[in-house]
Amino acid sequence: MASDSSPARFNNTPSSPDDSAFSSPIGDTISSPAAGTSRRNKRGRGRSAATPAYDTPPHPNNHPRFAGSESTPTPLHNASNSRRGHGGRPPTPSSTSEGAPSSEAGDDMDEAAPTFVWGTNISVQEVKSAIQMFLKNFRDAQSQGAEIYEDGKYMKAIHRVLEIEGEWLDVDAHDVFDYNPELYGKMVRYPLEVLAIFDIVLMDMVSQINPLFEKHVQVRIFNLKGSTTMRNLNPSDIEKMVSLKGMVIRCSAIIPEIREATFRCLVCGYFSDPIVVDRGRISEPTLCLKQECQAKNSMTLVHNRCRFADKQIVRLQETPDEIPEGGTPHTVSLLMHDKLVDAGKPGDRVEVTGIYRAMSVRLGPTQRTVKSLFKTYIDCLHIKKTDKSRMVAEDAMEIDSSTQKHDEDVEFDEAKIERLRELSKLPDIYDRLTRSLAPNIWELDDVKRGLLCQLFGGNALKLPSGASFRGDINILLVGDPGTSKSQLLQYIHKLSPRGIYTSGRGSSAVGLTAYVSRDPETKETVLESGALVLSDRGICCIDEFDKMSENARSMLHEVMEQQTVSIAKAGIIATLNARTSVLACANPIGSRYNPRLSVIDNIHLPPTLLSRFDLIYLILDKADEQTDKHLARHIVSLHFEDPELAQQDVLDIATLTAYLSYARNHINPQLSDEAAEELTRGYVEMRRRGNFPGSSKKVITATPRQIESLIRISEALARIRFSETVEKHDVTEAFRLLEVAMQQSATDHATGTIDMDLITTGVSASERMRRENLVISTRNIIMEKLQLGGPSMRLLEILEELKKQSSAFEVHLHDLRNAIATLQTEGVVAVHGDNVKRV
Amino acid sequence: MVGPMYDCLANPLGAIRLTFEKAVGSGCEPSAFDGKDWGALDVFREFLVDQGNLSQVPVLNSETLKWVQPNTLVRFRGMVQDMLGNEFYAGAYKDGSGWRTNKFGDDSQQPIDSSPDVRVWERRLLYCVPVPGLNTWAESEAASEATVTSMDLTSQQRDKRQRMDAESMDYEVCPGSNIVLEDSPSAKRMREDGHPSLSVQLSDLKPEGPCSSTMMRPEVGDSPSCLVKVYDTRESELKLNDIFEFVGVFTIESEPVPADDGDDIDLTTGFRNDLVHLQANKVPCLHCIVHRKLAVSDFLRSSPIIEQSKHVVMNTRESLLRHLTMLLGNDGVAANYMLLHLLSKIHARVDNVAVGKLSLNLTCLSKEALSVFGVQLCNALRNLLPFTDSIPLTVNYLNTACLGPKKDYQRNRLIGGTLQLAEGSHLTIDETQLETGTLNSVGIENARLLKDLVELQKVEYDFTYYKMEMAADVQLLVLSEGKSNILPADIVLPVRPSDVSRPEVVSAEALGAWRWYLATMRTLSHTIESEIQEVVEKDLVAARQADRRIGSKEFSSLLTMGRLMSLSFGETTLSLEHWEMVKELEKLRKERIN
Repeated sequence: MASDSSPARFNNTPSSPDDSAFSSPIGDTISSPAAGTSRRNKRGRGRSAATPAYDTPPHPNNHPRFAGSESTPTPLHNASNSRRGHGGRPPTPSSTSEGAPSSEAGDDMDEAAPTFVWGTNISVQEVKSAIQMFLKNFRDAQSQGAEIYEDGKYMKAIHRVLEIEGEWLDVDAHDVFDYNPELYGKMVRYPLEVLAIFDIVLMDMVSQINPLFEKHVQVRIFNLKGSTTMRNLNPSDIEKMVSLKGMVIRCSAIIPEIREATFRCLVCGYFSDPIVVDRGRISEPTLCLKQECQAKNSMTLVHNRCRFADKQIVRLQETPDEIPEGGTPHTVSLLMHDKLVDAGKPGDRVEVTGIYRAMSVRLGPTQRTVKSLFKTYIDCLHIKKTDKSRMVAEDAMEIDSSTQKHDEDVEFDEAKIERLRELSKLPDIYDRLTRSLAPNIWELDDVKRGLLCQLFGGNALKLPSGASFRGDINILLVGDPGTSKSQLLQYIHKLSPRGIYTSGRGSSAVGLTAYVSRDPETKETVLESGALVLSDRGICCIDEFDKMSENARSMLHEVMEQQTVSIAKAGIIATLNARTSVLACANPIGSRYNPRLSVIDNIHLPPTLLSRFDLIYLILDKADEQTDKHLARHIVSLHFEDPELAQQDVLDIATLTAYLSYARNHINPQLSDEAAEELTRGYVEMRRRGNFPGSSKKVITATPRQIESLIRISEALARIRFSETVEKHDVTEAFRLLEVAMQQSATDHATGTIDMDLITTGVSASERMRRENLVISTRNIIMEKLQLGGPSMRLLEILEELKKQSSAFEVHLHDLRNAIATLQTEGVVAVHGDNVKRV
Repeated sequence: MVGPMYDCLANPLGAIRLTFEKAVGSGCEPSAFDGKDWGALDVFREFLVDQGNLSQVPVLNSETLKWVQPNTLVRFRGMVQDMLGNEFYAGAYKDGSGWRTNKFGDDSQQPIDSSPDVRVWERRLLYCVPVPGLNTWAESEAASEATVTSMDLTSQQRDKRQRMDAESMDYEVCPGSNIVLEDSPSAKRMREDGHPSLSVQLSDLKPEGPCSSTMMRPEVGDSPSCLVKVYDTRESELKLNDIFEFVGVFTIESEPVPADDGDDIDLTTGFRNDLVHLQANKVPCLHCIVHRKLAVSDFLRSSPIIEQSKHVVMNTRESLLRHLTMLLGNDGVAANYMLLHLLSKIHARVDNVAVGKLSLNLTCLSKEALSVFGVQLCNALRNLLPFTDSIPLTVNYLNTACLGPKKDYQRNRLIGGTLQLAEGSHLTIDETQLETGTLNSVGIENARLLKDLVELQKVEYDFTYYKMEMAADVQLLVLSEGKSNILPADIVLPVRPSDVSRPEVVSAEALGAWRWYLATMRTLSHTIESEIQEVVEKDLVAARQADRRIGSKEFSSLLTMGRLMSLSFGETTLSLEHWEMVKELEKLRKERIN
């Protein structure tokens, strides 16, 4: 790629509008040696003697970075806008005789004192100095002031490029706009011309800094102010700079594109000078140029003396969110050159900045006639992967506590933010959001509130000591069939920023977490992520949680508290982030909730897992006529009324998503002192509640896990209001939510009080007490009736005795067996089948 | 505006250019016509609509394709199967001193690049196929005239006269040719217009499995698919899977694929462009001038004959119900459900709920019973509805079939699966042939697609990198031995045939009336009075109090049935009487299940 262009050439004529000064650096952009380019120019100038147009500076040769074969755009615009004959395209449309149509243009320009790019209001000098000013003087907003004596942002960048011998300089279009909106406007409207000047200015600067720097540095513009969609590209966008989002679906093989060809005479062995591609063709010499030889048709291409540049054609397809209903995705071709080749792989979501071009299609390869059709493509200037999962994952934990300004690819303009802020100021925003969440699911308002909290999420915290607290809220919905749990799940899945939906029945442990597989080609072991890792920073919805295999479920323990997945197999030991909120739903064990059994028995999940859910909702189908009536009315209205009218003051999904992602990324509420106090007070009270006077039972009401849950929920509630501080009422509401969920899920059916023990161990305090009583009375009976070493007694007989003694509570054989088993471990009795013997 | 100084039929491009020149001549800049019409459409609208010449325009099908001249006006009826994006073309260019246009044509092959003045315009490319599952009788209207005209094409005049003859003849033939019955879609497309018979014995049909028809969609080749180029329309106007009639200029892409070699650096070689592929297949191309969305009723021939009076509706309903009862072996309840099922149509969508669907699962059908009832039923459905299709659900079929549409990036085309159906299609799924076996991943995916279609009326389109759900409106009839668990239909009904009667002879008039009835009644709008609403709500609450298993799904189907019941009587409001009928029906059904 070495370029033999002497830097001095640039130096000599830093600002002179001389043809060669302009053309050589540009000509070099594709790393063809300047020698060739300038030679070509000389040819060009030789030609241009006839056409004055060529004397004007912005008329250099091809801007080679766009020089595709036929890519010279045929005159697409009408007369007033036909900008033939300036940078970026050859003076003539692709296949006509040279120069003829340009004459009037040249005249115009000769007369005008400042040199304008033909057909535009671009003055070359002006643009040039504007760019120079920009590169030299632009400073970031934050660095302004204090470091005023330091170099500007891009001067630093240029130095860096020189240090690392880079080949391009990324220029943020936002910076251009901030510095000089006019320049930005010109750049977007006439990218070919302005970028050519940009490159020249840049090369001037580079050679000033380091005259010996050999590589050619290109400008790459990215981050345009506005981006369009593929669908909206229309003829008026041709030759404009556009920015698009999409998904790479295909990449062609790398095409070596010939830039310079060398021919050798078969007769005398004479090597021709390199011939540069001219508008996509190489004019093969028909005659040996050597004076002595002059053999006809003897020239043959010498491949290894030719110069090639990489080229690749990439196909970009619309992402699903841009496709309107009843449409199929559009695609567009991208042309990648040099370093951009292989920058995106199929499946990548990218944002591309480039120039939209149209080229005419020839009837046949040898024909000059073209069809009336145009092929369109985007000459790629810059490609950015918008899917940042990897980038975030690298320094994930650090980002967590700080603000994540760059995390989301959703861009918010001022007006939108203003709208969202206004929404957040509504007094009933909490209720409104609740209503907007799955509006067609009736009732279940408190469940929806909980889900809302989950969507907004709390703050993750990482202490300097290394301990971290998750900010994700996990929710379990347990309920009767037909209570629209799955619908809620589906809805959340669609709404959440990165949701994965799996069904417990079909998920295995590896499918959920991560697994190691062997690459069939390279035989290397590779780590593949499962649903939980994939939904990192999102919500993982697991349907039919109860039907999940034991093994798979146990994998969730780590994920739900530590938020990581550890893998140790096949020579790979890894810990992957899985900072995901889990939303699971399960049916009670008998498919219908049995109120006589405890929640644990109903859900039949290990208590260790259960305690990791912040909110456990029991959705019970109560035979309540009022609810039924609501349901009936709801469905009738669904069928007979205009569904649009039925649900008015709810937010549409788009607004809801925007609101959500804005809040998640920009609002990081902190606990106020008042709220912290309330939290402490409430927690103490919760713990004391089981202890009220008159109750002899000791019931554990709340665990430290709950206080974490409470903090998370209150933070989420503050986020809902776009508030930076957690107020007291947030905490109160969090307590209410927890209680609503717990009252349903942790009501001890024997006592009617909240009993966290039920969730943490599976046995309620009163149940435990009952069992203890049973053991005591059984022991008493055995002590009474049985002699040491005497005859044994049948279980049923003991049961009879027990029933006689205590009429207060029912005793089952099953309970008795448990009690006997306890006694057996104490060494009081020995059991043989149904016979109990005192030892 | 302009007299018929040019032949819109034979030389539409002439008419277009003339109007263009006129418009430019009157001082308009061609740039003013970016994305706009300059008056050419008015000419054609006048010619086609006001002068009623639409029927003279030949319909594009496999027959007419052989003789239709390029650059003449043709019609094409089809479903939008794929969208190939937008295409830029040199819309207007300066040729010498005057402006010329390329709109509605492809012809400009002169080196236009020499002209500096070119306006680039864009047009949309749609790939259209014949409506999937289109039945012979619905197709016949379009095709009949063409077959006759195909004999002679030397003289445009004579041709036109001939066509007119065909028109008149066509209407005489009409009652008979409707009822030509064939078994497989491919055979269906073979025209048998030559043998019109006034009525057809249903029993004459080959006793073939009702659903054994080949599932292969007619591929490009045996029936014409058409590349339609649409100009200046809003994107929302033309949607995937909509059925349209396009009238426009016919061209055929007869250019061979440009040779790749030697042109290696060209953009085309990176990927074969979409067009390149189509060109290779010589796909007919239509530059659409006028398009019109078609509803089911547009496929009926006799629609204007019947006046929509209450009396007629009642009579038709009675006779159709009788017919269905007979078909189902004298099972009146099943016939009633079948009628409601045939009238169902999705009229609203709220989030994931498709309101108005009524899929029906007829159970207690063994393989043997199916050979009797199933055949009759399938044939009858084919005669009643314009678009029907059927799927034999076997393990092998599930494992191999391509049900969901899938994007083929090699060809840059959407491969239409069996489930890419037009709105209002009817799909029969025969589960009786299902035996135990192992499903592979394709099979599981297919089963899931079917389930989604039954439950949500949505089909997932596979675009490799992501999937997109497209709303569908398909009437689903499941035939099974026991309750189908793969396909959870709204209504499960055990059939109780009591009597195997010989299939009756159906008169063409009756068939016509039934078709009209089914097509018209389902499009009626519907409301509910507040008194009835209260009654309904009370009933629903009572039902739920009595049986906790009844949930919103059951409520929904009950209400849908109520709606359909009153529609079946041609009523637009739900009356107490019809509501009672629905409840009675449900009671009978419940008795059967228990």
